[in-house]
Parts: sequence; C-alpha cells; structure tokens
Amino acid sequence: MITAAWIALAAPLAAAVAITLAGTSISRRGAGYLATGAVGASFVAAAVAFVAMWGRDAEERAVLSTGWTWLSAGDFSVGVTLLIDPLSAMEMLIVSGVGALIVGYSLGYMDGEREERRFFAYMALFVFSMLLLVMTGNFLLLLVGWGLVGLSSYLLIGFWHERPTAVAAAKKAFVMNAVGDATMALALFLLIWKTGTLDFGTAFARVDDLSPTVQTLIALGLLGGAVAKSAQLPLHTWLPDAMEGPTPVSALIHAATMVTAGVYLVVRAHAVFEAAPEVQALTAWLGAATLLLAGLVALVQTNVKRVIAYSTMSQIGYMFLAAGIGAYASSMFHLMTHAFFKALLFLAAGIVIHALAGEEDMRRMGGLRRLLPRTWWAFLIGALALSGLPPFAGFFSKDSILAATWASGGDGLALYAIALAGVFLTALYTFRMVFIVWGGEPSAFVREHVHVPGRDLVGISMAIAVGTLAVLAVVGGWVQWAILYTPVETWLHPVVEDLVRPTVAEDVITSVLASLLSLAGIWLAWAMYSAKRVRVPEAPALRSLLERKFWFDEAYDAVFYRPAAALARVWTRWVEEPLIGGSIAGVALGTRELGRGVAAAQTGFLRTYVLAIAAGAALLFLVYLAAR
Amino acid sequence: MTTALILLPLGGALLVWLLPWSRFWAGSVAVLVALVEVGLWVQVVLGFDLSDPGLQLEQRQEWFSDLGVSYHVGFYAWSLWLAGAAVVVMAAATAYAFWAGRERPRAYFGLMLFLTGAIVGVFVAQDLLVFYAFFEAMLIPLYVLVGVWGGAGRVGATLKFVIYTMAGSLLMLAAIVVFGLQQGTFDLVESGTSGSTWLFLGFLAAFAVKAPLFPLHGWLPDAYRESSPEVAAVLSGIVSKAAVFGLLRIAIAKFPEPASDLRVLVLALAAAGLVYGSLVAFRAPDLRGIVAYSSLAQMSLITIGLFSGTALGLDGAILLSVSHALVSTTLFLLAGGIERRADTGELALLGGMARGRPALATVLLTAGMVALAVPGSSAFAGEFLILAGVFDVGWWWSAIGAGAIVLAAMYVLRLISAVLHDAPGPRTNEAVLDLRPAELGILLPLLGLLVVLSFWPDAISGHSFAFELLQ
Amino acid sequence: MLGPEIAWYLSVAAFLFGIGSLGVLVRRSPLIVLLSLEIMLNGANLALIGCSRLYGGGDGQIFALAVMAVAASEVVVGLGLIVAMARRGLALDVDRLTTLRG
Repeated sequence: MITAAWIALAAPLAAAVAITLAGTSISRRGAGYLATGAVGASFVAAAVAFVAMWGRDAEERAVLSTGWTWLSAGDFSVGVTLLIDPLSAMEMLIVSGVGALIVGYSLGYMDGEREERRFFAYMALFVFSMLLLVMTGNFLLLLVGWGLVGLSSYLLIGFWHERPTAVAAAKKAFVMNAVGDATMALALFLLIWKTGTLDFGTAFARVDDLSPTVQTLIALGLLGGAVAKSAQLPLHTWLPDAMEGPTPVSALIHAATMVTAGVYLVVRAHAVFEAAPEVQALTAWLGAATLLLAGLVALVQTNVKRVIAYSTMSQIGYMFLAAGIGAYASSMFHLMTHAFFKALLFLAAGIVIHALAGEEDMRRMGGLRRLLPRTWWAFLIGALALSGLPPFAGFFSKDSILAATWASGGDGLALYAIALAGVFLTALYTFRMVFIVWGGEPSAFVREHVHVPGRDLVGISMAIAVGTLAVLAVVGGWVQWAILYTPVETWLHPVVEDLVRPTVAEDVITSVLASLLSLAGIWLAWAMYSAKRVRVPEAPALRSLLERKFWFDEAYDAVFYRPAAALARVWTRWVEEPLIGGSIAGVALGTRELGRGVAAAQTGFLRTYVLAIAAGAALLFLVYLAAR
Repeated sequence: MTTALILLPLGGALLVWLLPWSRFWAGSVAVLVALVEVGLWVQVVLGFDLSDPGLQLEQRQEWFSDLGVSYHVGFYAWSLWLAGAAVVVMAAATAYAFWAGRERPRAYFGLMLFLTGAIVGVFVAQDLLVFYAFFEAMLIPLYVLVGVWGGAGRVGATLKFVIYTMAGSLLMLAAIVVFGLQQGTFDLVESGTSGSTWLFLGFLAAFAVKAPLFPLHGWLPDAYRESSPEVAAVLSGIVSKAAVFGLLRIAIAKFPEPASDLRVLVLALAAAGLVYGSLVAFRAPDLRGIVAYSSLAQMSLITIGLFSGTALGLDGAILLSVSHALVSTTLFLLAGGIERRADTGELALLGGMARGRPALATVLLTAGMVALAVPGSSAFAGEFLILAGVFDVGWWWSAIGAGAIVLAAMYVLRLISAVLHDAPGPRTNEAVLDLRPAELGILLPLLGLLVVLSFWPDAISGHSFAFELLQ
Repeated sequence: MLGPEIAWYLSVAAFLFGIGSLGVLVRRSPLIVLLSLEIMLNGANLALIGCSRLYGGGDGQIFALAVMAVAASEVVVGLGLIVAMARRGLALDVDRLTTLRG
C-alpha cells in the first residue's frame, strides 16, 4: 500500500521532469501520452492503495511512511512523510482520477498548440503537487504542496504568455495565493513555537493544551491559506481571472482539485478548528457569504467560463459552510461530486469553445443543441447535477450539507436560509447559461464558425473524458444517500467525526425544499432567457454592482496595490537616490571641498615650506619646554 | 587540506600571471584550477565528520608569538557549506568570464583565482589577523575587477565601493587590534568573549557594509550594475557571505552580550532593509537592479536569522546563504546573457522572449521560482527556518518577513514577465538567440544544485550546527 | 674629561644650524639651498658627536656616520635634479619653481 502511494506521487513528477529535460527530442503528442500515462499510473497506484486499505480494519487504515528528513534544525525536524489514511486515499483517487481524464482530454484540446510539451509538463507538475498536498503527513510539506500547486496554477493560467491579460491574471493568482501562504506560514510558526512539531498527529494532540488565543490564531492563519487557495471571500478575486488559462486547466485546477484544497485543509486540521469555535463559525459564514455573492455575480457574467468559475466559488462556499459547522463527511462528499460535475461542465464548455475557434462570449453563442448534440447532453447532466436535482450527483451531496446546516442549531438557521437562497441562484444562473448557449436558433456567429470535432484523436480523447465524467456526474452521488446509507461518512470516520447529524426528517424536508427551489430557478431561467415570458429586470445600479463584482478588485487596488507602489516610488525617488546614493556623493563632495581649502596652503614656494617646518619645530620645542 | 584549498587557487593565480599564456589557455587554466578547487572541496567534505559541530581539519602555525597571532585555519560544518558555495560560484563565474571573453585575460583570470583563494581564506580563518588579511585580500581584486573591466560608470562605482568598504574595514581593524590586545591573543578559538559594545559596533559596521545592511547599501546598486555580470554574481553571491561568516564567527560568537543587547536594533535595520529592498526592487527599471535590491532583501533576511539567537534561525541563515549564493549567481549570469543579446537590461525594452527560446525560459523561470522562495525550494526552506526561529524573539519580525515574501513574489514575477512574457519588446528580435550550450553548461549545474537542495535542504540545515558555535 | 665644555660644542652646532636654515630660507639658487642644507646637517652631526663624547657612548658617532651617508645620497639626488633642470633650460631659482602650488 505504501509503495503504491509513493509510486502514485512520483509518477507525475517523473513525467514532468522527463518532458522538460527531453526538450524537442520528444514529439508534442508523445509528451501528451507520457503525461497522461503517468497520471493514469498514479490513478492505478492510488486505486491499489485504496483497495489495500479497504481490506484493513478501520483502525489500522492510517499508515505513515517517511522517506527522508526534509528539514531540521536544533530539535525541530520535518520529514518527507506520507500519511495514507481514508481521507488522503479519497483525495488521491479524486485528484489522480479526474486528473487523468482531464490530461487525456487535453491531448485533443491542446492538439496543434505550439508549446504543447510545456503544457503537459506543467499539468504533470500540478498533479504531483496536488498529490503531495493531500498525501503528506505534516504541515510543512502540506505548505510545500500548497505552494507548488499555486506555482503550477500560475504557470498554467499564464500559459498563453503573449496575452497580457493572461500574464496579469497569472500574477494576480500567484500573489493572492502568496498572501494565503504567508498567513499559513505564520500559523505554522506559531505551531512550532508552541508545540515544537508540524507532524499532523502530534500537533493535533498538543493543540488542545494551548491557550484559546493561540488556538484561535493558528486556526485563523490556516483559514487564511484555505480561503486564498479556495477563492473564498475576501481573497477570491483571482479565480474568475484565472479563466484566462486553457479550459482543461480551468477544469482540473480551478474547479476539480486545487481550489478545493482549502476544504481539505479545514477537514484535515479539524482538530485545530474545533479548538477554536469562533474560527469555525467564521469559516461557515465566509462560505455562506461567498456562495451568495458568487451566485449573484454569476447572474450577469457573459463569459461562459466565468459563469462556471463563479459557480465553483459558490459550490466551494457550500463545502466551507459544511466544514465550518462540522459536517466534514458531507463536505468531502460534495468535494468529490463537485469534482465530477464541475470538470464535466468545464470540459463540455471546452468542446464548445474549441468548436467555435476559441470564442468564450455567451452572447455570440446560441442554438448549439442541434450542432453538438452529445455535448449538449453531457452539459445538461452537468448543469442538473450542479443545480442539485435528483438523481444527479449534486443532489445527494448538497442536500446533506443543507440538512446539516439546519441541524447545527445556533445561527445555523440563518446559514440555512442563505444556503437555500444559494440553491435557487445556482439553478437560475446555471440554466441562464444553458438556455443562452444551447437554446434557440444558431446565431450568425455560430453558423459561421462552428467546427464539429470529428472522430480523430481530438474528438475521441475529448469524448472519452466527457463521457466518463458524465456518467460519474450521475452515479457519483449514489455512493451515499444520507437518508438511507452513509458509506462516505463511515469511511472517513477513523479520520474525522462529524459534529452534526441531521435527523431523517430534516433530511427529507430539506431535499424536497431544495429540489423545489431548484426547479423554481430553472423555471425562472427558462421564462427569462428561453420563452422570454418574464423580462430580465433592468435595475442598472444593481447590475453595475454585480458586473463590477461588488468592487473588490477596485478596492484592493486602492487599498493595497496603489499604496505599496506609491511607497516604492517614493522610496526610490526620495530615499534611495538622494539619501543613500547621495550620502556617498556628499562624502565625496565634502572631501573635495576640504582638499581645496587645504590646498591654498601649498604655495609652491620652497621657502614657505621651510619656514613652516622651522616654525613647527620651534613650536614643538617650546611646547616641550613648557610641558616640562 | 584546508591550506591546500587556499593555496591551490593562489598558486593558479601566480601561474596565470607569470607565464605567457595565450587568451585561450589563460582562461582554460583558470577554469581548470577553479574546477579542481571544487573537486578538492568535495574531497574535504568526504573527509569531514558532518555530525560533529566542532572545528575540524585544523591547521595552526605560530606567527607572532608575543602578540598571540598564528596562522590558524579550520572548518566548522557551517563554514564548510559557505566555502562550498564560494568555490562553486567562483568556478561558474570564471567559466562564464572565459566564455564571454574578457580583455587582458591573464590579468583577469589571475585576479579571479586570487579572489577564490582569498574568499576561501576568509571562510576558514580562525585568527582575527588572518581573517583581516584575507578579508582585505578579497577586496583588492574586486576593486580592480569592478574598476577596470566594468561598464561605463565603473570608476564611480569602484570609488563608492572602496570608500564604503574602507570605512568599514578600518573600523574593524581598530576593533580587531583592541580586542586582540585585551584578550592577549588574536586566535578566535582561544580568545574568550567580550562585553564591549564599541568593539561589537566596529565589527558590525564592517560586516553591515559588506552584507549590505540598510542603510549602508549605497555602494550596492552601482557596483552590481556597472561590474561585469560574473563579478556582480561574485559580489552578491559570495562576498556578501563573508559578512555572514564575520557576523556569526566574530560579532555574535565573541560578543554575546552586546549582540543580545543590540539585537532589536539589528533586527529593525534588517527588517527595514527587507521591506525596503523588496519595494525598491519592485520599482527597479532594469534586470540587475531587481536582482541587486533583492540581494539586499535576502541578506537582510539572513541577518534576521543570524540574530534570532535560535537554532532554527541560525541554521536557516546558513541554508539561505548557500541557496542565495547559487540563485543570485544564476540570475546575474542570466541577466548578463540577456544583456549581451539585447544590448540592454532595461525591462521596458525586453519582453516576449519565452516564445522560441525554451531553454532560456525554463532556466529563468526555475531560478526565479527559487528566488521568490516558492514553497518547496531551498530558499523557502531557509526562509521558513529563519522566520520560525525569529518568532521566538517577536512574532512581528516573522510577520514582516512573511509579508516581504509576498513582495518577493511581486518583484520576481515582474522580472520574469518583463523578460519572457507579453509581446516581444523593441530589443527582442531574431538575433536574440536561446541560451548556447556553453551557457547551459554553466547554468545547469547551478540549477541542478538548487534542485538537489530543494529536495533535501536538510543536507545543510541539519548539518550546520551554527547554533552550537554559540554554546 | 678633556677639551672644552659641552656647551661650546652645542653652541657651535646651533650656530651652524642657524646659518644653514637662514641660507635655506633666504637664498634662491637651488645649489646654495642644497649647500645650506648640508651645513644644517653638519650642525646636527656636531651636536650628536659632542653629546656622544660627553656620555662616552658610541651611538651618537654611529648616528652621525649614518647622517653623513644619507646626506651624501641626498646631495647626489639633489645635484642630479639641478643638472637635469639646467639641461632643460629651466631657471635655477626656487621661487620660480612653483609647480606644486595647490
């Protein structure tokens, strides 16, 4: 089992290194096959580890394995440690499985791209980083994986490096994630200081003995990292911009895996968060706020990928909400189903974009249902799963989150109301997109540009991935139905125990309520955008608020970037140049002036010198006499 | 063995100076000697007990017995790593100079070899006068290398460099004399500690200039911009580490009380330098400016580690020193390569170099990622240890450091984007070629070492024992 | 102790020294300046030898010898310079040789 885990981790890295070093001696397609094969091998190894773990008793499923000491100094020591337990096994399967499908999809999607090799090397690097993140057994290596996924995300968002918007988006993503990394690092420093270790097991055991302030600060620091990585309020503004990257990247990194790392962190470090209930509540509230805000902004977006990006933020908001109230299993379950249906939506949208020669603006699409019928069905499945209608995957996972919110008591009811509103919004913006893109008659633009993928490598590789994900987006949710059976919860039980358990009544009522709200949302979308029975409200103030995404970008620009840039400018202009550079010039100038003054004494007349010497000698003699 | 490590390059320097080599042979001999020096260092490591925190491979010869001066050299584990970084960087710099071709090759390569010997001498010195001698011997070739082979503003740059370093050096000399006479010996192992704040400040001044520490960095931008790229690499990569050695071996180890009394002052200066260097780097208009000011920031961070007074901080400082030496050398040599091609280092005139130049893009990206301390890199490991260590002194230092890491991300990404991304700049034309095999031959070993260190930073941090020196 | 008192020796030495310094100060020909310099040195030598005799030690005598040797070398250099100046047609007048003016 542990060997399989190491193989799963190493295979993508090996592929990334091999593609980089091989340079042009490997064909573009060869690089794609190599990356797909390596990630596939990872998935197989992860599956082997999973099966081996399945065969063990629940108490003996967690295995630690240390490769070598990564960093040590004094009494502090951190190893390259893998912790393979039910939680990491589940994540490994999701990451490598969805990863393999998407990398395979890229074979077709990126075919003919000039720098295909670079793309696949980055993808493989990403899968390695993400696996490291979920498999490691201590916080430091978690932070390493955390940073490396950020790096791969930067590289892939900016893949089309000749587009200034892509480069800017990549930088933005990296810097915002660096902010999260920094707060997380501070939490780790505090942990080292107070507990002396970063190993999960020991650290969690010692967290309980710390003072409440310290517990809160550690949890806050970790939450900062999670919020930045998962694009939750207030560090969310990078995710929509990240859609500048190629669509498979958006699917893999900015929907299925990396952005859910924050959820994984909260679940993994649940001991820390449970010790700091205020931070737990904050997590839930941030999740709720994000799901509402993202749902609202998604209503007015015109770029198809950005709509899906906002829906990702919103769905991760649900996961944060669940993790914050202690419904860890539901949170992880939603993470899994979300990976399926969101990747599906992105990849199906990718086929549309591919077929329309790179066009992403929804307003120029329309009537694609007849032109791309199979993609239409796949997209529809994804949309229904996202809206949470039975029997699609999203229904099972999202409804348990809703029910758990209800059951959590306290301000749970307020959260519950927000979450239900979110369900309605989700259905509304999802089906707004569905009706605009697929419904009606083909637009002029579509008729002119559409190019249906054939049965070559491009079409087939994309069809395999989308088909598989479509199936998973249906059946993936059947793994657990909280009303009847809870295998996910049981599986995760050795690692995390849920803090809330809704009653069957709460579950059933929530399911009915949520499904009705969803249907209402779909109906409204149909009425507004397909049947045009209801006019889209004008409300220009509201619309501009939403289109400006609540002015977050502008606010950050004014509060952080501009002052920092101004400070840098002022320092360069008024400190560095005149003071630091000028001080030395001042010293030089002073020396020169002094020399000029002294030089006046040098008359060039020999006798002056002699007289000075004689006078000096006489003076010394007198001083000597006087002193005696 | 230790002495051989000093004498080999010095002998090589004499050989290059005295014999009438042709341009090609002068360079080849110098590169060969530099590589043998690296091999010799590896040999030293193999014969070194890396689990022993004490002084090893000691050699001692009486010099002036009545003053207590002796030729005393030896390695601590942590100084072994600094010396290793030094010989590797010098080999790379010499090889780059050979490849790029320099006027008056015999004089040039002789000076490079002499510099190598002097730097190694600094890192092994265990006697104050020997240390001082090597410290000054290291500066003389640098004055010449900057002043004769530099760019258009080389004279001004050299003058600034000389004035700053002389001022520091003289203060240090005075402090050395007083300290040695007080102790009755100049030997660093035999002498005890001193409580004199003034002597501490004398040493601190010299090392703060060399590091450099804010606000004594006035010589840095000109010296780094005007000298040839390999000399800039040596200045920022290695010469600054002589300050690390001096701070640790003398200023902190010999003056424990003043060091802890004035800790807040030093930490404040270093923190100021960290933020200041990062922000100014973010505004710098050219490649070398960014790397130069980022050096200021990194050296400030290393100083924070040295003055944290914890095992984590000190070992982290050594790790970051080695990592910074390698990465800053890589970046300066790359900047030199880019300037050769585009005839400018102005960021506004560059851009779009990634397309069609995969080797350049990959190398710059990798080096840049280490420079901004992406988690998992050796620089990250060092910075993490330093900031975790200084947390004991005060959380705010760590917070400032963590904030500066975000700034580092900003200026490095700016550098990378300005060179590689967006539309091709006015100077990015067809004549700007990808890295040549010879350049790759110089840069890839450096990058390789960085990658190895990233996989196993504990090789240095766990085998430095810098903290044990202070016990 | 034979011979005159030490005071006499020192007086003569001071006298010689004074004549020499006056010569250096007022004469303009470099040749004479050099000559006056020699007189000053001789005055100092006389003082050295006189004191050496007074205390019965040899140090002063040896020192005087050293001074003579130095004086001889100095004259060689000085005369050489004067000859070189004459050859170049420069005026042999110290007041007109003011190249060193700051």
